[in-house]
Amino acid sequence: MQPVSLFDLAAQQARWLSVRQSAVAGNIANINTPGYQAIDVVPFEQVLDSAKLAFAPSRTGHIPLGAGRETFNLRQDAIETTSPSGNSVTVEQELVKAGEVRHAFELNTAIVKSFHRMMMMATRG
Amino acid sequence: MALDPLSAALKIAASGLGVQSERLRVVSENLANAQSTGNTPGADPYQRKTVTFATALDRDNGGSFVRVQSVDLDRSEFPIEYLPSHQAADDGGFVKMPNVNPIIEMADMREANRSYDANLQVIKQARQLISMTIDLLRSQT
Repeated sequence: MQPVSLFDLAAQQARWLSVRQSAVAGNIANINTPGYQAIDVVPFEQVLDSAKLAFAPSRTGHIPLGAGRETFNLRQDAIETTSPSGNSVTVEQELVKAGEVRHAFELNTAIVKSFHRMMMMATRG
Repeated sequence: MALDPLSAALKIAASGLGVQSERLRVVSENLANAQSTGNTPGADPYQRKTVTFATALDRDNGGSFVRVQSVDLDRSEFPIEYLPSHQAADDGGFVKMPNVNPIIEMADMREANRSYDANLQVIKQARQLISMTIDLLRSQT
């Protein structure tokens, strides 16, 4: 069952990354909104720690693997610099975040792709 | 039906593009009317417009969209010029000029420009992420 667990983990991370991307989008869209506080998603490591990746006994014919479609919590970004209008978004920081999301997503899809190829090789023989 | 986060990111960035273009419209209005005086003696000239933004939370799509809160009038003093022959000149020969400072408008325009750029980058990236996901289904030999 190892590869299946990996797919689940990858899907979870992809979901987390898309939530983070939308948080970045929200921050950048509100870059000129007075009093807006930048937001971010809680780190993926924390999500993993809180999620149960082990099997949990449940109803018959039900094998839950990993956490389900849980929602990722948003938190206020820890940025000290606040502009006079009370806005705490910095474009540079948001673009760095967007770059991180992109790299992680690229890595994620590449891994899933190669695992899928390996599984196809195994099934075809 | 909740939107998936990447489409929400696209929508949020689009709302950012919308408000920044609205801002650019207000800037161009101000610049175009930088010399628009009144027609009758002592009449008020064109009053500079300002635009303010506000966050609009969308529970369905789960994101902080942005919208134009209001387009207000700048209540600062009108500068006065001595133009006795002008049709809007008062008894002393002074004309109220619009309270538009082209330098401030230029700075505002630049900022709108850069914010628009940042939103465009977000859209670009969200599209790339979506196509990376779709690529998972493609070209599996």
